[in-house]
Formats: sequence, C-alpha cells, structure tokens
Amino acid sequence: MIPEILSFQNTKCECGHQNPVGTVLCEACGKPISKEDQESDKLLEMRYDGMARRSQRSAPNIIDRVWNFFSSVKIAVYMIIFTLVGSMLGTIFPQESTFLNIDAATYYPETYGTAGSIYYKLGLSHTYESWWFVLLLVMIGASLVICSLDRVLPLYKALSKRKIRKHLQFLTRQKVVYQTRVNDDEGIWINNIVPALKKKGYRVHTDGSALLAEKYRFSRWGPYILHIGLIIFLLAVLARGLPGLNMDQHLAFPEGEIKPIPNTSYFLKNEKFTVEYYTEDDLPEEFKGKGKILPKLFRTQATLYECTADCKDPSKEPKLVEVDSHPIEVNDPLNYKGLKAYQFDYDTNPILRSVTPALIEKKTGKNIGEFKLDIRNPERSYQVGEYTLNLVEKYMDFGMNDLGEPVSISPNPNAPSFLFLIKGPNLPVQGVQYFYFPKQIDKQRFQQDIINEKLAGTNNLFELDVQGMNNVDFSMSTSYLNIRVDKVMPFVWLGSAIGMLGLVFGFYWQHRRIWIRIDEGALTLAAHTNKNWFGIRKEITVILQKVNIEVDEKSLDNGGNQV
Amino acid sequence: MTLLDFSSMFFTIAFLVYGVAFILYGVAVMGRVWRNRDPDQHMKKWGKVSFLVSTLGLVAHLIYFFTRWSGAGHIPVSNMFEFMSTLSMMIMIAFTVIFIIYRKTLLGLFAVPIAIIIMAYAAVFPQEAQPLIPSLQSWWLQVHVTMAALGESFFAIGFAGGFMYLLRTVDFNSKNKSDRRQQRGVEFTLLSIVVVIGFIASVYAFRVGGYESVFTQEQAVNAQGDKTIARVEYNLPPIVAPYQSEVESFQSFLGIDKPLFEAPSWMVGINAGRKLNTIIWSVLAGLILYALIRLILRKPLGRAIHPLLKGLDADDLDEITYRTIAIGFPIFTLGALIFAMMWAQIAWGRFWGWDPKEVWALITWLFYSVYLHLRLSRGWQGKKSAWLAVLGFMIVMFTLVGVNLVIAGLHSYAGTN
Repeated sequence: MIPEILSFQNTKCECGHQNPVGTVLCEACGKPISKEDQESDKLLEMRYDGMARRSQRSAPNIIDRVWNFFSSVKIAVYMIIFTLVGSMLGTIFPQESTFLNIDAATYYPETYGTAGSIYYKLGLSHTYESWWFVLLLVMIGASLVICSLDRVLPLYKALSKRKIRKHLQFLTRQKVVYQTRVNDDEGIWINNIVPALKKKGYRVHTDGSALLAEKYRFSRWGPYILHIGLIIFLLAVLARGLPGLNMDQHLAFPEGEIKPIPNTSYFLKNEKFTVEYYTEDDLPEEFKGKGKILPKLFRTQATLYECTADCKDPSKEPKLVEVDSHPIEVNDPLNYKGLKAYQFDYDTNPILRSVTPALIEKKTGKNIGEFKLDIRNPERSYQVGEYTLNLVEKYMDFGMNDLGEPVSISPNPNAPSFLFLIKGPNLPVQGVQYFYFPKQIDKQRFQQDIINEKLAGTNNLFELDVQGMNNVDFSMSTSYLNIRVDKVMPFVWLGSAIGMLGLVFGFYWQHRRIWIRIDEGALTLAAHTNKNWFGIRKEITVILQKVNIEVDEKSLDNGGNQV
Repeated sequence: MTLLDFSSMFFTIAFLVYGVAFILYGVAVMGRVWRNRDPDQHMKKWGKVSFLVSTLGLVAHLIYFFTRWSGAGHIPVSNMFEFMSTLSMMIMIAFTVIFIIYRKTLLGLFAVPIAIIIMAYAAVFPQEAQPLIPSLQSWWLQVHVTMAALGESFFAIGFAGGFMYLLRTVDFNSKNKSDRRQQRGVEFTLLSIVVVIGFIASVYAFRVGGYESVFTQEQAVNAQGDKTIARVEYNLPPIVAPYQSEVESFQSFLGIDKPLFEAPSWMVGINAGRKLNTIIWSVLAGLILYALIRLILRKPLGRAIHPLLKGLDADDLDEITYRTIAIGFPIFTLGALIFAMMWAQIAWGRFWGWDPKEVWALITWLFYSVYLHLRLSRGWQGKKSAWLAVLGFMIVMFTLVGVNLVIAGLHSYAGTN
C-alpha cells in the first residue's frame, strides 16, 4: 500500500495537474513525473505520450492480471512467433486436407517413413485445424482487443488534453531539439513563423510566447484501425465454423442432366461442358511438335433452377423455375444470392444416358417394336407390340458377390444391366427372364447370351438389340462443380479493408508535432514524430529558413535512437 | 523481329546496363580515397552518374516488361522466368524510390547487385512466353503478382539497408563473444549470396557445355500395381540419382560415369532427386567460389567490405531500413494477402486454403509484423532490427523460391528448376 500512496502523492505535477497513477509525463505540461526522471538528461520515453495505461495499475487483481497478460506487446510477439513457427511446421509435409480420400494413419508412414509417422502422431498433418493453432489465433484476437483498448484510450486522452506551453524539460529532452536566441518581440516572432508552419499543413495553436503545431494526428490511429480490421477478420473466420454459414460440396453434373443440390432448394443443369486446348499455333516455337497439351478453357454452361413445389416427393416431378444461367469458367463462378458454383474438375468419359433397343424375334429376325430405356430411371414395365417387359431388377454397375449372385458393386452407371420378365404370345404364362446389358462391351464381358440361354432354356426366343448408334444417347462429359455458400465473406472483406486502411494511415502518414517556447529571448524548438525522423528534420529546416534561420538538418538530431 | 525478340533484347540490355551501374556505384564509393580529389565531391558526382545509369537500366527493363506483355498477350508474371525478372525490376523501382528520398549513393552498391543476381537467376528458367492456363486467366494475376512483388522488393531494399548497417557497425576486430557471433552471421549471409551465385554459375557453365544425363524411374499409378515410366533430364552432372532409378544415358564428367549416391526413399518423385542434385551442386560451387574469394582477399568477406562503409551514418541506415520496410509492409499485405485471398475466392472458391505458398506469405507477413512490433513498442533498433531485416528477406526468398523447390503445392505451375 505504501508505494501506492507515495506514487499517488507524486502524480500531482507542479503545473497543478493531477495525473493518474502510472503516468510517466505530466498529461498537461509534459514534465517527467518521477524524481529520478526529472534529474536525468536522457531522451524522454514518448510512447503513448507518457500516459498511464490500465495495465500499469499497481496491486492487480485477477482480471487485471489477465488484462496485463494480453496487453503486453511482449506476449503478443511471442504468440505471433508461435503461430509463425506452427505455420512453418504445417508446410513440411502436405496437410491431410489436400487429399480427398486417404487414410492418414497409414499414408504418412508409408510415404514419408519414420518422419511421416512422427509428423502424423504429433498431429501436424492437420496443423491448421488443431486445437493449439486455433487457440493461438483466438489468443492473438484477445491480445488485439486488449492491447488496443489499453493503449488507445490513454493515447486519445494524451493527444486531446494538451497544454500549448510545455515544460522546458519536455522540450529539451525530445529527439529533435533546436535552441537559439531571438531579438524580436516574442509574440511577433511566434506570429511570424505561423504562416510557414501552415504552409506545410500544420494546424497551429499559439499561447503568447508558446506554440504547438501539429499535423496528421490520424496516423496515430492507424495501428488501432488495423487491429480492429484484424479482429473483424478473425471473428468472421471463426464464425465460418457455425452451422448454416458455410456450405462446401463437390458435385458431379453430367452434361444435359438436371441435378438437385443437396440441402438447398436449387437444381443445376449442366447444359454443355466445353474444354478447349491451345492449338499448335498458339504455343511458342520451342513447344511445337512436342505433343505438349496446354488447356485453354474449361466451361460449364449452367442453368440454375429453384424448386417451388414437390421438391422432396420422389413420386412427383419437382416444379422448377429457372432463376439464373451462367457460363461457369475457372475464374468466373456462377453466383446467385450467395450460392456459388465453381468449375472444379471434369471428366470427358461419356456416360450412357438412355438406349432405344428393339425387341427381335431371333428365329425370324422380326422387329417387334422399340422402347426407350432410361438407364438411371427406367420404367417398371414396357409394352412392345403384344409383349410386356416387366423390370425385375436393375444393376448400375454389374458384378458378382462372393456367393456368385449378381449385385451392383457401385451406384455409378459403369456397367448397367437390367433383368426383364418378358410375357406374351408363344411364351410360358409365368414369362421368361431376360438379362440385358446395354453396353456392347458388357454384353461380351458378362456373356449375356449364355446367361439368357440358362435362364430361358428352350424359351430363349427373343433378344433386345440396339440397331445403330442413333438409338444410343450419351452424356458426353461430366463437369464437377464446387458448390459453396459462405455467408461470412462480406465480413472477411470488411475486416481486410479496414485493416488495409489502418496500415495506409499508419505507415504513409506520420503524426508530427512541433513545440516552440520563448523564455526571455531564449527560443526552444522541439519536435516529435512517431516515425520518419529524417522527414521531420528536413521539414523543420525548411520552415526555419522561412524565418531566416539556417540550420543543418543533422544538427537538429538530439541523439538517441528512438522511433 | 517479333515483339518478343525485341523484348528479350531489352532484357539483355537492362542486365548489361545494371552491370555497368554496379561498377559505377563501386567507382563512386571506392574512388573517394583516390588521389587528387575531394571525397565528397567525387561521391556526389559519380553518385549522380551511377544513379542515371541504373535508371537507364530500369527504363530498358520496363521496355522489356511492357513489350513482352504486349507480345505475349498477358502480363509477364506467369512462370518463374517472368516472375523473377519482374521481381528484379520491382527491386530497382523500390531502390529508385528510396534513393530519391534519401540520396544515399552507397545503397546502390548493395541494391543493384541484388537485382542483377535475381535477373540472372530468372534467366536460368525456360524463357518462352507460353499462353495462360485457365486458372491464370484473370485480371487478378496482374494486381496480385505485381503488388506482392513490389512489397517484397521493398523488403529486399530493407535487406540491403539492414545488411549495410551490419557491415558498418559490427566490430570486425573484436574477439568478444557477441561480436564474434555477429561476424559469423555477416559471413554466413555473404556465403548464402555466394551459393546463389554458385548455383547460377554452374547452371550456365553446364548449359554452355550442353551437359545432359537422363534417368528413368518406375512409378506406381494406382493400387492395382499399374506402373508408368517417368523420365528426367539432368543438366548438371548427377551426384545424386533419383530414388530407385535407371540410367538411360549418362554423359561422364571428370571421369565420373555413374551417380555417386541415390536420393533417400522419402524423396518422392523423380524430380526430387534432380532438385537435391541441384542443391548439392549449388552448395559445392558456392563453397569453391567462396574459398577462391577468401584466398584472394586473405580475410573474411565481411571484414573486407567493412571499410567501404566508413563515414556512412549508421543511424541513417537504420532509419532507411525501417522506413523501407514500413513502405513495403502495406503493399505486401495488399498484394500478397488481400488480393491473393480475393483471387483465391474467385478461382478456387475459398479465400484461404493453407496451401504452402499461402502459408509462407502469411509467415512473411507475421515475421515483418514481429519486426514492427519489436521496433515500435520494444525499442529494438540498430543491430537487432538490422538482423531481423536480413532474416526477413531470407524468408521472402524462401517463400518465392524455396517453397517451389522443396514444397510445391497449388502454385507449382510457377515452375522450378
């Protein structure tokens, strides 16, 4: 308690101003507060203009301690360094997130040996999602808030509560000092220098034989504006983790198909996918004739629909309304009310969409009739002439399981196959089973004819045959689009913009102050800036020239190494 | 003559003019002690001449840049050659800006060679102008890459200033422990520069000699065990062969007719072996070059350069270094982070994806923000601050070159050697 009382007594300055505990320089006249400092002739500590900060309270409680921790620049620097080193570690091997499907536990040891195994076990294979990394970012955020509050309020007070006539010691212990004798009347001399200062953009305040000129004070707020921007940015990034604010899915869109976008009421149709390559003429001489292929364009002509009714009911066709249409290219996504579709990947392997086979009587070769078979959405039964074909089973990717039973090994239409029950004249009442492979290659690979002979025996009288390529409908390519919703993006950009503004204010302008006082003909000029001392010395030289005082720039330097 | 040939010609002209400017800066600085002259007058006169010449070089460089832009139909920053030549041009722009503010002739003696080295490094890479792949076809290519390069160029000048500060202030005669450490630090920095020169020199030497050896390596394509044969050409004699590779052709060098080592198994891919080989060659060539210079000078390089900076005001250097970084920091933030995020958002659908290049840009930014905090709030000035400026530029160069060489990732189309 005693030091507190003592310091309390000591904070009252001789100019009569009562300063808060922790003040270094009197808020009003700038005289150093501590006795020790008064006797020194070193340069003054001008940080925050010598104001007391909350973090400098004596006898701190728990909240004060937390505050002090986060308000320390030293701690902030450590946190930045830890983040920096953590980020470095994360780039040693590729992160898990760069792969679509891997088993990280086996991938890292297999690919990178022991080092990979250690890397995985330390959790560095997902550095940027790890708890400690996120914690560091949160702590930096806390530090940004508290550091700024701790300093910006005292600084604001210091810059607004000012006496024009500063204590002599405050002036002589600045980094830029000039002293001389003047013979004119003090008031007149002061008035004479005012136009020169104003011409350089200073705002000038006079008080008899004392003067304060100041410009670009807003530059002092630069770092705090930057910090506000960073806080908004960090909050926006953290908010992305909240449900509903962020959607990210990769979907395949075969050409010509309308597909629903899961978890939304939208449907998207890939009208046409185009990939173009540079021709030989476009390539430089050195590449010609080397078979080098360079893509020029990936484009999905897309149409976006919004579903208005019957969206979830599988038995009904959803009612769609076209809402947007856009040629999606790599640097040009579709954007509809925050839903974005990006060109991500493509596949030019054609996919069978439908076939129109004919029912043929084998013995005579007679064409009984044709029907259109939609590969993905076949109908339950087809009527062809006098014959009925009931669909018993469909396999999108035909294969056999361990028991030798036919199964679909994937939902992708790689090897589609259909089992029909044919009924009609000349056939048994219960019908005849018939396996149909629309793709010629599958027909041979899975031996369609042999299967059907076994199934039907002597009743194997019919076959399905696609007569010519015009009866086959392919989707020529598939475009993979990345569908995203990112509702926090405006805040990310807002934070970036504010931060950038702060950087520009803080770094491209400098807060400059010049004080002058004349005591019985002895003129003392002092100046302070937060950066670019070179610039302020030069400026003062020019200003002094206007009142016929020649000084060497360098002689204004009062020594020391203060920024 | 096509526009692209015209452009290449100006690239060479710029390079040669920079070389002359470098010599002139040398004359301006070292000629101070020549007989029959007033040192200040000499410095003033030759400083003007040198600045005029280096500015002429920059003009030629700008002609190269814009004619190539017009000839290729896109801004020349799309591959490693184009990027590095643009970076060296930006360094000269940053130097010119800082020179106009501070008028320190000596800065030219350090800044111009940085631009020359980076330009020579650019010329190591294939120089054809090739059309843009879809992901680069964007207006953002222009603003992102140029702004990032300009910010980094100010850091390069900050490096020059910081390093000059160290060369000026480190006590090269002291046996004191901390001074010894600083001497070693200065020497290491110089050695690193010599290694880069060694790399460039060995690439050119073997290119002139037309050296080539070829290796093949079987690579698994899928889990079913299907394999393809990858092929790699070495343009430097193979000290290290790719892991489990076969020699397709081998041109013997100094009687060595097979590779001495094989790359370790964790170096995946056939190019990893080639890159390792390049690194070994650079270090070897650099060390030999360094040894030769030491033999000629008969003292550490730092101590030999130290007297050149005599009479230079250390505080001014400190101020220039800080100011340069302070000018570069917002530009870097805008170009390398904010514009990068905006472009990534449009091209890839996410503004940030922890791609190695992105992470290293962030590391650079964090590093310089540490520099600024330490300087502004904790009073780190003089040597400490100068060391950070030197280290910072090494991080910048790792981001630009090292990441492509060692880590790759999404920016790998920038090409590496």
